[in-house]
Amino acid sequence: MNPFEKIFNYRVTSRMEDTGVFLSTSHERSWLKLMLDHPSAAAAFSGVTLEKLQTLLAQEAPLSLAGDLIHKGSTQEVQVYHPLMRVLRRSIQNHQGIQVSIGLTNGQPGPEQSGLPYRLEYSMVKREWYLLWYSWTRRDFMSIRLQKIAAVCEIPASPELVRTTQAEIQRILESRRQSAVIEVLPGYNKELSRILYAFSCFEKEVRYDEEKDTYFISLTYLGNEGEYVLSKIRFLGKRVRIVEGNWLKKRMRESALKALALYESPPDQTRPGQE
Amino acid sequence: MAKESFDKEIQFLRMLVLTSGAYSRQQFAERLGISVHTFDKTLKKLKEVANTLLEQPPEAQVQVFTDALRSNYYESADPLLLFLFQAKSLKETESLRISRILAALNNSQELTMKDLLDICCSGLDLDSAFPDEKTVRGDLKYLEEVGAIVKGAGPRPYRYRLNNNLVRQLSREELLDLFDFVDIMANTQLPSVQGYLLRDSLKKELIRQDEEKQAIEPFLYKYHYYSRILDEAHLSVLLSAIRGRRKIQFLYFSPKASTSYASQNTNPLFERESGGRTETALPLKIVYDHQYGRWYLLTHSKHQGIRKYRLEGMLQIEEGEAVAEELFLAEKTALEQKISTSWLIDTGRPVTVRAKFLNPHRRGSARNFVKERVLLQGQWGKITEEAPHFFIYEITVNGTTEIKPWLRSFGSSCEVLAPGQLREELMAEWKEILDYYESF
Repeated sequence: MNPFEKIFNYRVTSRMEDTGVFLSTSHERSWLKLMLDHPSAAAAFSGVTLEKLQTLLAQEAPLSLAGDLIHKGSTQEVQVYHPLMRVLRRSIQNHQGIQVSIGLTNGQPGPEQSGLPYRLEYSMVKREWYLLWYSWTRRDFMSIRLQKIAAVCEIPASPELVRTTQAEIQRILESRRQSAVIEVLPGYNKELSRILYAFSCFEKEVRYDEEKDTYFISLTYLGNEGEYVLSKIRFLGKRVRIVEGNWLKKRMRESALKALALYESPPDQTRPGQE
Repeated sequence: MAKESFDKEIQFLRMLVLTSGAYSRQQFAERLGISVHTFDKTLKKLKEVANTLLEQPPEAQVQVFTDALRSNYYESADPLLLFLFQAKSLKETESLRISRILAALNNSQELTMKDLLDICCSGLDLDSAFPDEKTVRGDLKYLEEVGAIVKGAGPRPYRYRLNNNLVRQLSREELLDLFDFVDIMANTQLPSVQGYLLRDSLKKELIRQDEEKQAIEPFLYKYHYYSRILDEAHLSVLLSAIRGRRKIQFLYFSPKASTSYASQNTNPLFERESGGRTETALPLKIVYDHQYGRWYLLTHSKHQGIRKYRLEGMLQIEEGEAVAEELFLAEKTALEQKISTSWLIDTGRPVTVRAKFLNPHRRGSARNFVKERVLLQGQWGKITEEAPHFFIYEITVNGTTEIKPWLRSFGSSCEVLAPGQLREELMAEWKEILDYYESF
């Protein structure tokens, strides 16, 4: 399963694209065979298709990891595939509207809303799928857990409405963009690799000030991701300092103050929540 | 021919992605421990591959290349670093010949070696050499080995056909389901590279079949570590060594020492003799760390016991002698036992950590995000006590270094109760952090 095969050479790949050849190798089919063993395969395909795939791959040896590759520090895998994805991905692709009913906490379906689905988003941190969509009913761009959707159906949408909604989504996404600058304290430069890894899941740019031997990481993120950015900064602790981004600074100060208040009271005393 | 190694390209891309734009060409070359000339050559090679595949403008500056590799979350779902795996060198004539053979097989049902030889000879420029029978036979053998083509049943002369049943036997709807599945699994499971390669071929096939050429990528993956696929380059050789119970030999640059991106040190990653040290070890397990998106190899060596290496610091990995099965199994079992209580890979002394988590103030039945997160990420730890405003979480873990960042990431929703030393450390850290923002 060495991935560096000459068959994957970029010139071959690009010529195959020009001549319309579908190329697949046993490397990829072995991988697929292994993945079909995952419980989510049953939800991703109809029984007929799944059986067809298994027959097509019958001759392949499944890629075997046999516990030689293990995961650490991961979030428990709650969900890899959600049954609503087949409907929603088609509505997104066909630029159709949807009517959604969001489940209420008592288990009953809530009032219906209509809107345009934009993307399906998986959070590697929460291990769950979300629908990003623009609700015409609420006139807002929203993110909702698929788990919360009680029912969904496709409704027609005029190309004009789709176009204006898409433009509105772009406008909202743009308006929600936030930025911050994080300084790596020079004393921790030897841990730079680890720190940069931790931030490599964000849109970022790094600046190096040679005179001060200091690195600055500029992050760009959407407003609702601020909490996650904060938890990353707290994760790294005293190695990094926010130098631009007032909201983040304020929250870090609050965190530190409240945490210290907790620690300064005797450890066994139980007190109600602070946040 | 010497085996082509991609060590240099991997180091180069990793640094490019991690430090995105921090360094000038000169600084970048210095930190990799290479000359500016080698830097330019490497960049040129990678750019050529990337330009062919990603259709990027062919400007030669680092910045343009860096920008192209910067993830644009809402606009591109393609894994940007995949092109590394498509960089294997191939002579122009060979790539042309292979492409011709595959295209010919794509147009007909089955062809013999002779048919294919004719096709290969018919279209070439006059000044390029015509392939001979032996060459084409070699190509067919290779293509059959990698599973791109299959030899039909029946007597000689053998007839070959393209192995494209996956797309021929599935309807368009089924193909779309397959694309989605492959996309999702490549993004959420390990390993990913083979999945990404398959995803790429399926995507092209779907675009070919769709006259309206609609976008077919409705999925986004949040907080992914993009550079994780670079280290998958080492996966096959390591897995095969583990399977064969073989030792490996490699050059190791500890990320903490000279190879880190720390200031004045030149990083000797490209220099064969200096800097790194040669290591020999018996590989036992590969670990992917989700907290940082990094890979480790856990090994055993006779004199040093369990040794841990970061995959990104390993170069020129070669298989060595095999060891006895009993020895391998004994060491593997011992290791498994040790790491069963490692938060990541620490094999130090186990300690019991107790922490009090404060529930957020919430109205009605709003979600308790703190508890949800602890349950999802707290690994084998248990909630031992619950009260209306808080709960106690307890875990026995090897050392406190690895779990500390996670506990700290909860901010003032988490108070460590034991061990006392960890409690004190966290208190001191919060004091220091408060100092950072005191003037704010």
